[in-house]
Amino acid sequence: MTKLIYLGCLSQKNYEPTCKNAIKIIKFLDDGYKVLDDTPCCGSLAFNISSDEELKTHVQYVNNWFKENDITELVTICAGCYSYLTKYYKEFLGPDFNVEIKHLLQFIAEPRNLEKLDLQYSGEKLNINYHDACHLRNASKPIIEEPRIILKSIKNVNFNEMDYNKTNSICCGAGGGVYSIFKENSDFNAKVIFDNMKKGKVLLTACPFCYTALKRIKEENNIKKSIIKFEDFIANLMEGVDPIN
Amino acid sequence: MNDKGKELYDVIKGKINSMKEEDSLERQYWDFWKLGCFIKTRVHDLRNLYEDTSREFVEKYKEELIKMREQVLENLDYYVEKCINVMRKANNFKVHYARTNKEAHHIFMEELGDNKVVYKSKSNEAKDIGLIDFLKKNNILIKETDLGDVLVQLFDYKLPSFQVGPGAHFSIDDIVAKIKEMHGVELEPKPSAIVDYYRKTYRKELLNDVKVSLTSANAISAEDGTIVLGENEGNISLLTRATEKHIVVCGIQKIVPTVLDAVLVAKIQSRINNVPFNYINLISGPSSTSDIRGINVLGMYGAKEVIVILVDEWRTRAIKENLFYKDYLKCISCRTCNFVCTAARAFGNIFASKYGWGATAILTDYIHNGIEAAVKDGLFFCTNCENCYHWCPVSINIGEIMKSMKKEATKAGLCFPPLKEYQQKILKDKNPFK
Repeated sequence: MTKLIYLGCLSQKNYEPTCKNAIKIIKFLDDGYKVLDDTPCCGSLAFNISSDEELKTHVQYVNNWFKENDITELVTICAGCYSYLTKYYKEFLGPDFNVEIKHLLQFIAEPRNLEKLDLQYSGEKLNINYHDACHLRNASKPIIEEPRIILKSIKNVNFNEMDYNKTNSICCGAGGGVYSIFKENSDFNAKVIFDNMKKGKVLLTACPFCYTALKRIKEENNIKKSIIKFEDFIANLMEGVDPIN
Repeated sequence: MNDKGKELYDVIKGKINSMKEEDSLERQYWDFWKLGCFIKTRVHDLRNLYEDTSREFVEKYKEELIKMREQVLENLDYYVEKCINVMRKANNFKVHYARTNKEAHHIFMEELGDNKVVYKSKSNEAKDIGLIDFLKKNNILIKETDLGDVLVQLFDYKLPSFQVGPGAHFSIDDIVAKIKEMHGVELEPKPSAIVDYYRKTYRKELLNDVKVSLTSANAISAEDGTIVLGENEGNISLLTRATEKHIVVCGIQKIVPTVLDAVLVAKIQSRINNVPFNYINLISGPSSTSDIRGINVLGMYGAKEVIVILVDEWRTRAIKENLFYKDYLKCISCRTCNFVCTAARAFGNIFASKYGWGATAILTDYIHNGIEAAVKDGLFFCTNCENCYHWCPVSINIGEIMKSMKKEATKAGLCFPPLKEYQQKILKDKNPFK
């Protein structure tokens, strides 16, 4: 019985410090979780364009890998992985898929974990916003309230809703593999997300695809507000480091 | 690497570049739209007009609406037959059932007779079935009456524009200049002056000269054959009254069980977009009188004849063959999916087809012209964010339909190379970045 930390291919490729932070958080909360080498990709970028036969072959391969490694539970830090693992793996494999899937936000939001983390921000009261990623809000078991529960539990942090939030949140334009072919989709949409923050100073996202688009738009447009990945934010608070710097 | 996919990728990239050019028509529309869609979406949340927000109004009736639309689609043959019978027997409508778009075109031409001019309301369905193109090819003069479409015609604007406000991107100064150029009249650059100009000139023509008018229908009641048409300008009121022959062209999916259902559809369309339907027309027959010895005579002051052309084309087949887009038949054409669409915001009117604007217009192009047409329309712009699904008053998952089209495009070798490479690496190496 192995409990896996499923990092996702995009974070592993581009966001190594984030992966380390996520591992730190998860292991702090439950030391039984492990990272394994050569974890296969969930297939996120292929799901919108592949045939059922191709997808079935892929999910069977991933499921066999889970079985070979005796994976019974996993926590993923990727919004895309969570969405696809919870929806399509069950759809294609039915009862043959026996892995309990959790997203990091669900894991952190569990009361005993929140209690153990006992988070606080040490600087001046911080106004933050959270961007609801499509992958999380549209999942078969949507993740909408968990980030709010976490953020509201942090001392000295003031959580603000975006103008467009929850199921009405604005898509960053990078989903569905579109970022690989039309980055332009994010040029306007990601900028509008920053505009929607109102008095918030820091924007948190739990999706590496959203982060990629939002970070680029922030830099290209010289936007002063910060964009931080959720796990980096939490890990910094755990260590007493100011996440904004 | 697939050559066709690469070729289409270059075509779309070219369109994006043209959108970035300062004075391009794409840019002109996009600049207007990217702001407009947010203002529009925000309006949904304001409680400044009614006790409830538009969204709350839709939510209140959503379950009932979905149940009603599903009931119709499950028993479409029954409702079509019932509706046609009552329209013929009780309402004195002349009803045609066109199995194909082509059949509908020819029926329309026959009904037109020697007339060479057709005055039309917005009638998106007439565009959808290719009727307008067909009439133009046959040298029939199409006269638009919705002011937005009148402006599109005035500017001879060829690119797709948003169905609910087709001329909204023309600036006031441009309109005034164009009217001077085309009609030699100098107007004050004010919306009221422009409206007044058309009221004084075009209204007379609409009251006196219309022989044949064309409208679609928001819904038709199978219970009593009543045609429901919502509008704000009054053009439909004039076109359906001050005419000899009023021809209604619409798909069979517009049929609903009762007249109250039909009114509900119109109210939802109005509230969800905050487009005021100042008039909701309920038409249950040509004008008539029985004032002379109780003998009923058709054709008093209003239309002398009402012709209804119900078009099937793909609709029955979609249900019988369980096609992936059959849910689209539930659509009530409110077009709210466009306001909240990520791709529509990013790409303005290059995320569109000749049938209009947004995902549903791309789907229409796919149904009539195949997958390559859909790819050229910008199918791959869709991020599957499902905002359209969350807002849809009848819960059609257009994102899923778009996804099915993407899969078909990929199977046909039309997927764009960078995305295709990721897919191949995932399926082969189990990691897209290896």
